[in-house]
Amino acid sequence: MIPFHTRLFGAVVALTLAAGGPALAQQLELKIMAPAAPGGGWDQTARSMQQALVAAKIARSVQVTNVAGAGGSVGIAQFVNGAKGDGNQMMVNGFVMVGALAMNKSPVTLEQVTPIARLTEEIQVIVVPANSPIKTAQDLAAAVKADIAKVTFAGGSAGGVDHVMAALFAGTIGADAKKINYIPFSGGGESLAAILGGKVTAGISGLSEYEGQIKSGKLRALGVTSENRIAGSDIPTFKEQGIDLVLANWRSVVAPPGITPEQRKTLSDAVEKMVKSDAWKDILKQKGWDDAYLGGDAFTDFLKKETTRVTDVLKSVGLVKS
Amino acid sequence: MTDLPRGPAARRVDRAGVVIALALAALAAVLVWDSRQLPATTMYGMGPEVMPVVIAIGLGLLAIGNLIDALRGDLPPRESADPRAVLLIFGGLVLLIAIIGLGGGFILATSALFVTTSAAFGRRAILADSAIAVVMSTLIYLAFDRLLTLSLPAGPLERLL
Amino acid sequence: METFAALAHGMAVAVQPMNLLYALVGVFLGTAVGVLPGIGPALTVALLLPVTYKLDPGGSLIMFAGIYYGGMYGGSTTAILINTPGESASMATALEGNKMAKAGRGGPALATAAIGSFVAGTLATIGLAFLAPWLVDFAVRFGPEDYFALMCVAFVTVSATFGDSPIRGLTSLFIGLTLGLVGIDKLTGQARLAFGIPELLDGVEVTTLAVGLFAVGEALYVASRRHHAEEKIEPVRGSLWMTMEDWKRSWKAWLRGTMFGFPIGALPAGGAEIPTFLSYSTERRLSKHPEEFGKGAIEGVAGPEAANNASAAGTLVPLLTLGLPTSATAAMMLAGFQQYGLNPGPLLFAERPDLVWGLIASLFIANVMLLVLNLPLVGLWVKLLAIPQPWLYAGILVFATMGTIAAKPSVVELSMLAGFGVLGFLMRRFDFPIAPVVVGLILGPIAESQLRRALAISLGDPLVLLQSPMSATLLGIALIALLAPFVLKGLDRFRASED
Repeated sequence: MIPFHTRLFGAVVALTLAAGGPALAQQLELKIMAPAAPGGGWDQTARSMQQALVAAKIARSVQVTNVAGAGGSVGIAQFVNGAKGDGNQMMVNGFVMVGALAMNKSPVTLEQVTPIARLTEEIQVIVVPANSPIKTAQDLAAAVKADIAKVTFAGGSAGGVDHVMAALFAGTIGADAKKINYIPFSGGGESLAAILGGKVTAGISGLSEYEGQIKSGKLRALGVTSENRIAGSDIPTFKEQGIDLVLANWRSVVAPPGITPEQRKTLSDAVEKMVKSDAWKDILKQKGWDDAYLGGDAFTDFLKKETTRVTDVLKSVGLVKS
Repeated sequence: MTDLPRGPAARRVDRAGVVIALALAALAAVLVWDSRQLPATTMYGMGPEVMPVVIAIGLGLLAIGNLIDALRGDLPPRESADPRAVLLIFGGLVLLIAIIGLGGGFILATSALFVTTSAAFGRRAILADSAIAVVMSTLIYLAFDRLLTLSLPAGPLERLL
Repeated sequence: METFAALAHGMAVAVQPMNLLYALVGVFLGTAVGVLPGIGPALTVALLLPVTYKLDPGGSLIMFAGIYYGGMYGGSTTAILINTPGESASMATALEGNKMAKAGRGGPALATAAIGSFVAGTLATIGLAFLAPWLVDFAVRFGPEDYFALMCVAFVTVSATFGDSPIRGLTSLFIGLTLGLVGIDKLTGQARLAFGIPELLDGVEVTTLAVGLFAVGEALYVASRRHHAEEKIEPVRGSLWMTMEDWKRSWKAWLRGTMFGFPIGALPAGGAEIPTFLSYSTERRLSKHPEEFGKGAIEGVAGPEAANNASAAGTLVPLLTLGLPTSATAAMMLAGFQQYGLNPGPLLFAERPDLVWGLIASLFIANVMLLVLNLPLVGLWVKLLAIPQPWLYAGILVFATMGTIAAKPSVVELSMLAGFGVLGFLMRRFDFPIAPVVVGLILGPIAESQLRRALAISLGDPLVLLQSPMSATLLGIALIALLAPFVLKGLDRFRASED
């Protein structure tokens, strides 16, 4: 038996939602910029937001625009200059943009945008071919310490999350990050061939990219970068192997500079409501993304810390001149 | 776009060929200059500054090869060209870029290109062509915008749709 | 035996009425979009990807197979009828096919392309079903140095195949290589030849270059020569169908094209360019009518077209078994898988055999649809040439710029398109071959990356290029192919002076 006042409360909430939902929805006509070409991760994030915001009746209409170029450098420049003060625009961004802006000497930085929220993240993994003599993360650390030049890491583009992770790995175990022999490949598939063919020592990538090969036994996962072991997975974290390497490839959404606190609150509320909607949860499940919602000032701090950390690492490997 | 004389039957210096050779040499120089700006940061193997120099050497050799061909007059014969048609189409492209750059939108921009190109191919019915162009680019715009949800640049005309 | 059972099961999935309909819609849409000048299969698949969002994974992948093949066929149609190949792989087709169309044999050219695509696609799909595991084992052993050597062979054969003079072919190639340098260096993140323009950091877009050189350049060139009456596009005369003679000359080319296309397409980074050019030069060498090449030889359409389709099926081998996309189109296919959270790889074969084998089976279905749909429509496509020349070229330029405007509507990108158009015009005027520029742009950066990866792994020791038997052999072939024309030319001159 449900107490009467609870039922009443429920009815009131339902009524408010029914009345307030469409009212709010009518106000919001959003534009979301994906600073990349159609099809990539940022584009998919922007289009998923579009889908969820409209399906959950949070916004009346959402338009996605693509401005491709240089890891987001072109997009953010246009966003900061063109959308200044516009409370109906947002832009998707992520870890990769931090490095890209630093390396391209972009005049526009992430400090200029108004942070809204982190949305998703992906855990990173280091793998070796199944027949490699290296069995654990400590074995790899020992090999790096013995002769850093001979340990070749295959991963994604220079200055991206894989590269940063290789440098962090070397730094964490006390080796010289500047001396890592990191070999960038243009995609997970291409690096996979080099790893399976035994051309390189180890491979670095997002977990989902290599998950199939790890499960089928062609690759051995040495460790993942999550804080705690992933539920239902037998891959150890680096942390439990005594290597303090915690990192994730995150994606987030930001607003233009110069918007009022009220405008910022409207956007933050809309995104928070979207993250809690069933439509968004369905999309996450479908795409295999991990929910990593972090809003408000906590996200602002996070963004600042990540920017400092990534820029420092890129300086240490000589990709960014200090 | 100078109207060049008909291909030389007799062997004599081909001026256009000499210009091509010089352009290739200039391109090689740009490559070398640009690669000098790159910091050598690579720890292992080959840095990004090596390949431009290799290609520049190749371009230099090809400039010499093209120069020899030009001095010998060893180039295939050319027919006369109509510079007006080329300039019309080029003008259409410039117009298209300007309209897109100034926010005039897809329909106006491509219509301008359509009309100038059609004129370059000898049509003089500018009004009829303009009508065809606007209808066609409007249909393309709608197909992309509504069916494929790919946003083409919008200007005053697009906002009326 | 296992393969048979799995394939039979896949067929049962694919021939369900709904799935047949998806395949038909896919082929039709793919052809309709692919036939637009300047839009290649990758762009076709990219543009039509949203159409499949609403379907379940099985139906969507089946429609995808249709779009893929339809887009490829549409691309060849454009290449043949208006000489604007949407991708480098249909460049060889454009060479002979467009000449055939201009000589009033557009019908047979389209027919041999359609039937050749069908034959090659069917054979290559059988190959895909049976040889996937074995081919993957072989392909995986290719190291960076082997890829570099393979690219060198491609460079030399490409610049030697096109044009009359090796110096002109190489000049075109080196212009392409120079353009390939523009942008952020993939291995160190340093910007080259970008001159501080942010739009240049991503490098020169292949589609922008190809559309500029081919579509815009061609329009400028044709306009400049309009007063030469003989250059008018001739109306299509004669039969739309292939004669006995055409069949006789085509069937061997189809089979040879398949033999080039499938294995090379299955190599990671093999792609469709190399087999189509190899097929073209082979047909030219083996033909009983070598004098017709460059003027509209049907073998020059049949072979490369078969090679193109076979390599498309070939690229599915690394894509499905390893998750390796080796072409732009395959990368778009991968995106199609990923929208359902599916990661192609050995595990997908084990966990979702219904999907993988359903897709392979629907490749057969899509091939049949292609033939059923496009042979009757050959007449319709040929009619495209009946459009008055001013409107035809005006329309081509609108579609050509539309592709760029849709992908990157920036002033810089459009200016590059116009600039490449002028370059294409000048190269046509001064008789430089155009295809090597595009090939240089595509393969140059890959070759450089692979070379530098090989050297990074060997810690800077160049001998690594000779230590791999595969790489040493391929480099030897490239060197011989590079020097041969100069040596032969010297001999010719020697002989000539003796007379």
